[in-house]
Amino acid sequence: MKVNEVPQDNAFLQEETEICLRDRYYALDEEGKFREVPSVGWKPKNAAIQFAWNNREEEADKIREQVVQGKLSPLAYHMERLLMTPAILSKYAGLSRRKIVRYCKPKYFSKIKPEELSCLAVALNINVEELISID
Amino acid sequence: MQIDFEHRHAAHCENGVVRNLLNFYGIKLSEPMVLGLGSGIFFSHMPFYKMHGMALTSFRPFPGTIFTRVTKALGIDIQWHKFKNPDKSMDKLDEILFQRIPVGLRVGAYNLSYFPKEYRFHFNAHNLCVIGKEGDEYIISDPVGMNKHRLSSADLKKVRFAWGTSPPKGRMYYIKSLDNYRPLDEEMIDKATRKTCSDMLHIPFPMFGAQGIAYLARRMRKWEKLYGKRGAALNLAQVIRMLEEIGTGGAGFRFMYAAFLQEASEFLNRPLWNNLSMELSETGDLWRDFSYHAARFFKKREGEIGSYDDLAHKLEVISEREIDIFTRLEKSIKRE
Repeated sequence: MKVNEVPQDNAFLQEETEICLRDRYYALDEEGKFREVPSVGWKPKNAAIQFAWNNREEEADKIREQVVQGKLSPLAYHMERLLMTPAILSKYAGLSRRKIVRYCKPKYFSKIKPEELSCLAVALNINVEELISID
Repeated sequence: MQIDFEHRHAAHCENGVVRNLLNFYGIKLSEPMVLGLGSGIFFSHMPFYKMHGMALTSFRPFPGTIFTRVTKALGIDIQWHKFKNPDKSMDKLDEILFQRIPVGLRVGAYNLSYFPKEYRFHFNAHNLCVIGKEGDEYIISDPVGMNKHRLSSADLKKVRFAWGTSPPKGRMYYIKSLDNYRPLDEEMIDKATRKTCSDMLHIPFPMFGAQGIAYLARRMRKWEKLYGKRGAALNLAQVIRMLEEIGTGGAGFRFMYAAFLQEASEFLNRPLWNNLSMELSETGDLWRDFSYHAARFFKKREGEIGSYDDLAHKLEVISEREIDIFTRLEKSIKRE
């Protein structure tokens, strides 16, 4: 890769943030020496990230449908949306994995204790009202 | 309290932290040199080790090894800590920090508040350096950012105890003493390069090293059958993300390692290494060509895209060339 070929395709990085995240490429200059060039992104990489997220959203929408039909609880929807799995969430929330799998069913979710509900909300970085709704 | 610490942006988080830490103690090394000394280029594709439910493809050795290897080569004494209790881990951090010692931390990206939402997945091998504390806020130097930043202690605790594949468990590391420090010399570079070549060529399992790239190609041909169209594309996306996600200097460290070979060739006066550097840089271009073609799988509807066989073929070519380059690199050391 030549210095003038370093891609600058921004998709996700905000310009004005204080920390100013950047990639950095090692590219060849005209004399065949490596130079460091900061970059804001590259299309194929952005496409891969975007694809993974779009897919996640589609999966979450499917689960949302099932929540509407009363087959799953809102917890299942928020977990899918926020990239959580029962195993990881159990570590963050301090509840057993088994319990979290149970709470994905409406029957058990309706009987959840308030403390456990707030534990889950904190672990998911959302508030309790959001956790019990699917908007 | 803030330590007088020069924050410099780097391509890769771990190299960057190591380089900035060494720089703080007056040891000037470039980022590619740190990568070279730490034997930081690698390849592995492990279908049995999952991340987000997909096979883990990695272009670097296990996190933490670069720091350990570089400091060991230079004869620097270091200290690692790992914790069970989050509060104790923060107390220990304060204790070391207030001795005016900058501390490196391994953190998870999922809760890292200054990352854009799209980058925040369960990736637990990010590194940053803590260089000060003011009130409840820690001043951090994250090498992927152009500037220093601040994080509240609650946020820092959260990212230090992230969960998922290989959790960091509050790991922290710092430099203890420079009593046995030796300046960079030929022997160190040779030894590190031999280690790199050995990792890339002689691990007797098909999924590691340069042959691992061909292994990935073989797996890729089966993806559609195993996971369906969408699953295959998701796996491909995972590979591209690992290859290009913040921190590889482009093409999964190939360009950065090439930069190391070039620097070393000048330092040791070995013109052959400069040629190898150019060849490695060309394989880097091939990797980029691979990503470029792979990106089509994420956009178009069915029918317009190429096949996984074509992509797999590209990987096989790369694998062959890398085997060739690292074999010649290894031979060039043994002869001298």
